Amino acid sequence: MSPTEAIPLLIVVLLMISIGGGDVQELSVTFQGDKDVDSLADVHVVAGGTTTVPGDATVDGDIYVIGGTASIAGTVDGDVTLLNGNLSVVDGATVTGTLQTYSGSATVSSVASVGRVSQFETPTPSSSPAQRVGGFLLQFLVLGAFGWWLVERYPLVIENVGTAITEHALVSGVVGSLGATALLVLFVYMAFTLILLPLAIVGLFAELLIVLYGQAVFGYLVGTRLPIERDGVATLAGIAAFLLALELSGLVPFLGGAVQLAVAVVGFGAVVNTYFGLQRFEPVTIPGGTEP
Amino acid sequence: MEFVTHVRKERWATVAGYVLFVALMVAGYYYNITFVQLGLIDLGTRLVGMSETAVSMWLAALALATLVVAVATGVTMDRRGWSTDLRTKFRLLFGVVCVQFALTLVAPTVRTVPGFGAWIVLASVGLGVGFPVSFSLATDLVPVPDRGYVAAAITAIAYFAANAIPLSWSVDVFSQVLVAAMAPGVLVLAVLSFASFDRLDAVLDALGTQHETYGTGRFCHGAPVRARSLAFAVPVALMFGVFFVDSLGFLRIIDTPSLLLSSWQSPDLSTRLFIAVAHVVGAVMAGVIYANYSLSRVFLWTFALFALTHVMYTSDLRFADVFPAIAGGGTSPLNPALYAIAVSFYTTLNFALWPDLATPETIGTHSAIGIGVAGWLATFSSTALALYFQAADLTLLTHLNVVQALSLLLLFGLAVGLYARRMVELARENGGASV
Repeated sequence: MSPTEAIPLLIVVLLMISIGGGDVQELSVTFQGDKDVDSLADVHVVAGGTTTVPGDATVDGDIYVIGGTASIAGTVDGDVTLLNGNLSVVDGATVTGTLQTYSGSATVSSVASVGRVSQFETPTPSSSPAQRVGGFLLQFLVLGAFGWWLVERYPLVIENVGTAITEHALVSGVVGSLGATALLVLFVYMAFTLILLPLAIVGLFAELLIVLYGQAVFGYLVGTRLPIERDGVATLAGIAAFLLALELSGLVPFLGGAVQLAVAVVGFGAVVNTYFGLQRFEPVTIPGGTEP
Repeated sequence: MEFVTHVRKERWATVAGYVLFVALMVAGYYYNITFVQLGLIDLGTRLVGMSETAVSMWLAALALATLVVAVATGVTMDRRGWSTDLRTKFRLLFGVVCVQFALTLVAPTVRTVPGFGAWIVLASVGLGVGFPVSFSLATDLVPVPDRGYVAAAITAIAYFAANAIPLSWSVDVFSQVLVAAMAPGVLVLAVLSFASFDRLDAVLDALGTQHETYGTGRFCHGAPVRARSLAFAVPVALMFGVFFVDSLGFLRIIDTPSLLLSSWQSPDLSTRLFIAVAHVVGAVMAGVIYANYSLSRVFLWTFALFALTHVMYTSDLRFADVFPAIAGGGTSPLNPALYAIAVSFYTTLNFALWPDLATPETIGTHSAIGIGVAGWLATFSSTALALYFQAADLTLLTHLNVVQALSLLLLFGLAVGLYARRMVELARENGGASV
């Protein structure tokens, strides 16, 4: 596991620890090799190799598995969380807290004693049509309400962003991809400092909001091409049509994903380029050409 | 983009000018980033038997000599009117390519230090004459609004070829490939320089007068930009900073096998292709930004990308320092890809900037000073500093930490400088504070 691969999962662990609110004084990580542990830090992260709690040992602390293998034969007085890799809780082992599985492979003996077993089910889009429709409706309601409000109250603002999308799609795409990627990396590294973790979470959330803003504007642009007179209603219909088209494009392998990504970065760039619609984007004029 | 209009209106002479400029610059730059930057290290260390430090000192000398020759050439071009004479520029370029062709051919046979030194001196003459002449062709061949896109095309093609084509970093291989590639180039330049027949003369006459329309650079409309003015000195200083930071960091990265073998010299073709594509993406992005935003914005993006790249490199190293066991786990291609984007960004800027800060009367001097000081002097200074770091036994993390600090300082300095300039403008506009 390279640092670049390990860092995101370690950040997830840190996030989970900070959200959990426990008093963590010490954190240890195992990256490789076979290791039997008789005692633990407050939190121990298994990122590689094999870490074993022997049958005769009782350790106090939480264990997070993000790679490699954790084998519990003794007693763990705390929680065990599996994010990636392998976990086995063998016959006679005890976990006093919660055994939480998010991903990876877990084998828990039926005769092991575990305080509570919890398995995180990844919500898959195809798992339930009702869920998909619900999610779609929720997204439509949020974006529709926002688009309606913007068109009715600040039509120039949404028009400015729309013009940046239609007339300067390439520039918006470039700025969007550069800006979104740079900010994403920045926020991830800010999170890793722990001190800036709250700011990183706010920043990532803000990035998501900008993408949604861009989607609302795409919907507005679709709405302007519909034969509906009232701007607000046209925007609502446009957002519905746009979201539906976006959802359907996801069914096309590779190309659908590429289209969704392109829409996100172009929208992001257009919002940023226009200062959230406060100013019309005008590229610089370069003198010296032969064309007017 | 004006190129499309020229194609649509069948202005084939102008279109041929674009193609010729891109081809010449790609060839020159590819030669520079392969043979000069990588081949000479192999020649000096493996065939001549010098230490890496000694070779680095010779390369620093090459950079300094190239700067001197370039400035002398650039000033002479402008004073004698060669900068506005297309045929003369082709003839100069033909001479340069002939010299480089011969030098490239004999390079693998060099075995002694004096021979290596003589090779370096002759190469610096070729390079020093070559780059002001080739950059000055932009005023004849590339319309101002398209310079960003043309610069992007040059960067993208040169870096893609350098990364995607799996050549061993050996002077013998570079010599064989480049001699084969240069041979037709010599022929084409000979025809452009000396041949005379109706169709060719018509094309060259058309191209030779284009500098009257396209010659005045983007930043030279209005107040003229002089070599001693701030409008010229500030971009030179900023480009010096970018070249310096890049060179200082890259010298250490290519000296670190674990970083090099997982990126630019990876045995895995997909990794090298990933980096090559990153170069293309970076160049296209830089071209679009150059054509649509102010110069300060392009510099800000360049510095931000470099700062981000070095933050990622040093973060990985710090992480590996804290958890040593992870250091053997290989490195991700994301860091070199981001590095490639940052390098493509400033390379694109470099190709477009100097012609845009000049007129046909000043292009020789301005491109010589610009590229000489920003490119070659920065390379000389960073090599000297890297040698000092090597002598001081600095660790990889400490070395890259210095590079990271410099890149962050550049970013911060530029942001503060732009803010301060806006404050001065406001104070002048209002004659003091206003409500």
